[in-house]
Parts: sequence; structure tokens; C-alpha cells
Amino acid sequence: MKESRLMLVQYATAVAAVALVSIHLVMQGVIYPYATAISYNNILSIYKNGFYAIFLEALLVVVLVHGFNGVRIILNEFRQTKPWAIWVDAGTVLAIIVTVAYGTRTVILAVFGGAPA
Amino acid sequence: MSEVKLVVQRFDPFEDAKPRMKEYAIPRREGMTVLDALLYARDYLDHSIGVRFSCRQASCGSCGMKINGRPRLACYTQVAELGGDKVVAQPMDNFAIIKDLVTDMESFFEKHREMMPYLIRADAQEMERPSAEYVMEPKELEKVLQFTYCIKCGLCTSSCPTVATDSKFPGPQALAQAYRYTVDPRDEGGGKRLELLDDAHGVWRCHFAGSCSFVCPKGVDPALGIQLLKRHVLSGRPPRREGEGAKVWTAPVSASAQK
Repeated sequence: MKESRLMLVQYATAVAAVALVSIHLVMQGVIYPYATAISYNNILSIYKNGFYAIFLEALLVVVLVHGFNGVRIILNEFRQTKPWAIWVDAGTVLAIIVTVAYGTRTVILAVFGGAPA
Repeated sequence: MSEVKLVVQRFDPFEDAKPRMKEYAIPRREGMTVLDALLYARDYLDHSIGVRFSCRQASCGSCGMKINGRPRLACYTQVAELGGDKVVAQPMDNFAIIKDLVTDMESFFEKHREMMPYLIRADAQEMERPSAEYVMEPKELEKVLQFTYCIKCGLCTSSCPTVATDSKFPGPQALAQAYRYTVDPRDEGGGKRLELLDDAHGVWRCHFAGSCSFVCPKGVDPALGIQLLKRHVLSGRPPRREGEGAKVWTAPVSASAQK
């Protein structure tokens, strides 16, 4: 993929992350009582809300894509050899796939069962 | 007569293991520039000081160096404006040292050449034997004028944090020139430049530190040019498509000019 497209993804995910994280913090800090916001049962009930589960999945993807793409940019500035660039690009794609898959697994288990109540 | 303490970084890669600082006492005079002080030291105190200079009027860009920690032109910096009695002269950062204050500009000019800093036209025949002059509207000239003031001194490149880490990054001077020619209404080769810059080590590696614009002795704002260039790279096309360059003509070029 062209670098301009990757940077467009980087900027778009940055803007989306600001919006999604802001909503997430407002939900956790204002709408739900702060003391119970991160309790296990409360989090499980949040996942049961289909809309919020989709929201959390979107937050997961946006933050991970932005974060790992940012690391790719930093690593590419460290060294300028072709093999290094190939390893960095491959590592970035792999890291995004693995972490998104693992996070999605958590969301699916919480929504459709599997996670202990 | 008061004196100025001139501290020069000395380093000969063929003889020295590492740079060392050497002090010279220079008699102060009114209007003395750092280059004047360096030439006094070279002429009367130590003939072995390596310093590059030419025009002495901030036109040639030869005497770029780090003066009291900031990239400046030695001929354009008065000793009095620095304040105090101590002037520290060091070679520019991000360049290999040839000797003392003389740096190797080869890769700098190579990156400049890679940006194709000239007008590219589809009508090659017209370029070789122009039948008339190309007109440039004052409004269009305004977009590129400040970038034409670049004297290729290398100060912007020496101050750039990305150049310090990424050796393939073209640097602010080359990128500003790429913008200058890409938005020129007479140019039709912008697409080629944008393709060249859309790379992992291209225009996107500018993180907008802005130090290039801060140190430019000619008032050029390379950081601005780079950000505007990003917009064109993102859209994938220059302001005009190939073959849509300026088509307005003034009086035909005389026969003698065509020869």
C-alpha cells in the first residue's frame, strides 16, 4: 500500500480514536457510577448491550491500527534497509491481526457467552 | 581594543580521532561578522583552519555552520548580535565533516537533484526551442516566490530532526524545492515528483518540528511547503494534470534568442 494511504489511515484512526475514547471515558466516568464502572459484572453487562459491544470492537480496531502503524513509522526511521522495512511491515500486519483477533475473541465471548457470569 | 574569544571546532578525519575545540583571541571591530573573525584567525593566527566561504553577502550559501549552537551563515551573523565575548563555531549537524567547519554537501545536492528541480513540460520540442515566453500570473508567483529565495546553504537540513535519524529522507530543502516546482503553473511534471515522494522515507517523514523554517537565513518557510506538498501527495495529483500547464504567451521570442 502506498505510504500516503497508510498515512491517511493513520490520520483517520487518530480522529476516530479521539472521538471513540472520549465517548468511552464519558460512559465510564459519568454515565456509569465511577466506583462500579470497572467491576467485572458491570463490564459484562456493558458487553451484553449490542450497540456498546460494536462500539468497543470499533475502539479496539481503531486504537490498535493507529498504535501499531505509529510504531511502524518510528521503526522505519531507525534503519533504512530494505530487509528491515519488510520485517517491520510484516510485523506490523501480524501484530494488528493477532491483537485484534484476541480482543475480538474477548468481545465475542462476553456477548455470546463463554465468559463466566 | 576589546577582544572576542573565538572557539572553533577542529577536526581532520584523516588525523584526529575526535573533534577538539581551539580558542583564538580576535580583536573586535565594529560590524565584524563571524566569518570576518574566522578569516582573521585563519590569516593571522592559524593557517590550518578549514572554512568554506565565497560571496560574504548571504547569497552563495557556502559558509553555513553552527554558531553558538544554532545553524547560521557566518557571513550574515554579526559578532555583536550574539551578545557576550565568546563565539563558538562548529560544523553543521547532519553532514559529514571534511575538515573543521567544512562539511560534505554531496548527498544534500544529490537529494536536491532527485526532486527534479526544473520545469518539466510535455512539449519537449517547445522546451528546446521556445516560440514565446511563458506567462506567470502574479498570484501564482506568490505561491512559489519565497521558495525561489533558497540559496542551498543546508542550514535547514542541519536543523532537521528527521534527517538526523533517517538518511533516506530528502530533507526540508529538497522537499521545499519539490513543492516549488510542482505548484509552478508552467510545470507539467508534478506527478513524477509526487510519486517519488510517496515513499516510506519520503514527504510523510516530516513531523513538522518547524526548525527548518526557524533557521532559514533567507526567510523561506520549508515546513509550510512540505505540509502543502503532503496535500498534493495525498490527492495523488499536482495542481494541474499533465498537459494542462500554462498556455498563455507573451511576445514571441526573437530569432536570435532561439538560436
